[in-house]
Amino acid sequence: MERIENSNVKEECYLERLNNGLQVIIIPKKDIQKKYIIWATKFGSIDNTFIDSVTGEKNEIPDGVAHFLEHKMFEQKDGTDSLYTLMALGIDANAYTTNDHTAYLFECTEHFYEGLDELMNYVQNPYFTDENVEKEKGIIGQEIGMYDDDPGWQLYVNAMDCLYENNPIKIDIAGTVKSISKITPEILYKCYNTFYHPSNMVFVAVGDFEPEKLLKEIKVRIKDNKSKNQIKRIYPEEKQEINKKYVEKQMEVSLPLFMIGFKDQLKGRYHEVVKRHIAIEIILNMLVGKSSNLYSNLYKEGSVLGGLDMEYEFGHEYAHVLIAGQSKTPKIVYEKILQKLEEMRKNDINKEDFERIKKKIYGDYTVEYNNVADIGRMFASDYVKGINSFEYMNKFEEIDTNYLKEILNQLFVEDNMVMSVIKGK
Amino acid sequence: MTLNTIKIEEGIKIHKINTNKFKTNLLAIYLTTQLSRENITENALILSILKRGTENLKTQEDINIKLEELYGAEFNCGIDKLGNDSVFKFYIESLNDKFIYKKENVLEESINTLFDIVFNPLKENNGFKEEYFKSEKENLKQIIKSRKDNKGTYAYTRCIEEMYKNEPYGLYMYGYEEDLDEITNDALYKEYLNVIKNCKIDIFISGNFSEDSNVESLISNNIKEKNLKPRDVQNLYLTNQIKKPVKEKIVKENMDVSQGKLVIGLDVTNTNQEEKNIAAVYNTILGGGVNSKLFQNVREKASLAYSAGSLYIKNKNSIIIKSGIEALNYDKALDIIKQQLEDMRNGKFSQKDIDNAKQLMKASLKSIQDEQDSAISYYFGKEMEQEKIDIPAYIEQIEHVTKEQIIEIANKISINTIYFLSK
Repeated sequence: MERIENSNVKEECYLERLNNGLQVIIIPKKDIQKKYIIWATKFGSIDNTFIDSVTGEKNEIPDGVAHFLEHKMFEQKDGTDSLYTLMALGIDANAYTTNDHTAYLFECTEHFYEGLDELMNYVQNPYFTDENVEKEKGIIGQEIGMYDDDPGWQLYVNAMDCLYENNPIKIDIAGTVKSISKITPEILYKCYNTFYHPSNMVFVAVGDFEPEKLLKEIKVRIKDNKSKNQIKRIYPEEKQEINKKYVEKQMEVSLPLFMIGFKDQLKGRYHEVVKRHIAIEIILNMLVGKSSNLYSNLYKEGSVLGGLDMEYEFGHEYAHVLIAGQSKTPKIVYEKILQKLEEMRKNDINKEDFERIKKKIYGDYTVEYNNVADIGRMFASDYVKGINSFEYMNKFEEIDTNYLKEILNQLFVEDNMVMSVIKGK
Repeated sequence: MTLNTIKIEEGIKIHKINTNKFKTNLLAIYLTTQLSRENITENALILSILKRGTENLKTQEDINIKLEELYGAEFNCGIDKLGNDSVFKFYIESLNDKFIYKKENVLEESINTLFDIVFNPLKENNGFKEEYFKSEKENLKQIIKSRKDNKGTYAYTRCIEEMYKNEPYGLYMYGYEEDLDEITNDALYKEYLNVIKNCKIDIFISGNFSEDSNVESLISNNIKEKNLKPRDVQNLYLTNQIKKPVKEKIVKENMDVSQGKLVIGLDVTNTNQEEKNIAAVYNTILGGGVNSKLFQNVREKASLAYSAGSLYIKNKNSIIIKSGIEALNYDKALDIIKQQLEDMRNGKFSQKDIDNAKQLMKASLKSIQDEQDSAISYYFGKEMEQEKIDIPAYIEQIEHVTKEQIIEIANKISINTIYFLSK
């Protein structure tokens, strides 16, 4: 196995790509009780059009299939449910679906190999019938109902609608009651056979492991050892410009929620996305972070309540910055952010602030290594984006104030800026 | 992982947890006082003012600059109910010296900063800084008003409120708008001094400390410097009330929600301290996780809900069932839930159900030491219960719970309140 060490966080990871294309990543953690396994496939809510690997036909699937498939993977032919089998062993098992991947995971302190058996068995053995697919529609319908009541989620969906015209990231991950009604066992099998091949997957293990030994144990549990051609996914063309400047919705909230977005363009820049990500985090902290004078002023005058959430979300097909919070006057917050950006562009970047914020972000990254689940999830989701998580610790020193200026001028401009608001009734 | 507790003064303790599993040191200051309608709103307001500034770090900006200098040390605070008490919780988490790239006193500075925030707020005349008092009063008003924003939490707190109508535990943690209007800055500052003078103080420090580490003296120096005197804390954590069954109460409320929220409060009556472990196992069988009776029967078999489960509030001896359902399925869901309670009473659960529940509890207990904050919460709970029991011994107790004991407990459990929020 290839071994990579990071001297900052004092951790190491072991990598191996199996013959069938499966990427295995093992991060040993001595003396930790918990073991964490996450097995992810690059199939998310945005992958809704693709070329069938056997027939060569173009497939368009209903919204919400990746998430539906995730729900249905647990059910076994013998009538058992793998989630319950794992939980009965005291193993905390779960699964989730995002825009760009679906992950199956568990965390345990005992019965590790029984857990590994079950996980690797159920992910490799789908069982879908008309009956069990119909039944799931009721459960997922309730889950969608829960999201419909969630102002925070509605805020996000509307922000995506502002940013993108055609990109499937604007679709709700779970789909709609109407779209999932069209899902059949055939559709699920077709997606499973396309996207759940080892070559499209990553397997991450974090815990007190002997890497070579664990690798052997993983290999003997893999069913399909043949390699496979790459999957052809088709995404609609997305313009550089934003879709809508502003969207507002009324829900039962006492204080308006707002989310400001900036649409980014990664085409031709993806190779430096880690560096860009860190730089954007530094800019966001300088702009509206807790030590910024903009944040203090907004808080003092009662324009915002509590801190603002700031995030850079990206994948191969989308990239945007989000700033969210609660405010009586979202439009004022929007204007002030715009003004502050103008100032930052015009003036030199304060060296002291820059160095201090870098220290803060360095600390934030290091703390991620406190918990096996955080490490596992981070390595899996970064891998899907083509990144080894250690790169974040290494690229740190490459960032200077000129680079920040460049991004301020490219990305943080009004033409790229949108706002979604949820107002009270 | 080792725990070492030192009593500094009557009512003031330092608990040092030595562990090499983390990149960080976590310092927590817990202040425990009796809870009442008179002080709950004041306490919530004090907490938010303390975040604003100290005599040394006068603004929030100053505090945050300080935290960023300490490699993004994370400050956090909150207030929790524990039985009839309220606990102010303040945390600072910062990188252990081994992981910082320059030589700096991150640990010492972190300790000083947290003590500064808790015990040295910025004053003006006889109160807090007037500007902070005013703006936090407005903010708190907003928080109280936003109680209805999260429907799940709202339904849960409403059920608790109905269950404990005349008890401190029924109070809403952020207080009441009508009480807020009455509070003056001077009176609030007096209440703050009163809390600091009389509360039970527990200071936890978790991290990787060498033999020659002076972390205890760094903390005790701060205690001395802040002039914290001995205090009588005998009146806290009174758990010996025995509950009697009451007549079942039904409360329905309407709001614009697409999914109904059903919350059912149960009383575990006539039990003593030893029986609490049994009640915990009972709760896990009933509604802890996906193998529980509630999840299996309400969600899986009847497809009625996305979520269905229960939690056990140990210090109040209550079990709260929560489920999200379609409004028109209310009767059906309630019938199924009541049937589960009845089945438990009649022993209609298998040895496998018991084993599953114990496995689940064991796993979560074992993983406590892999999480810095969970370990602190665990040891704080034990401190308040005055129970000196480590995790392996606690697991042992759980292992020994029998089916007969669970049935016996099941027959002492009755519904107190059924709360339903729907369109």
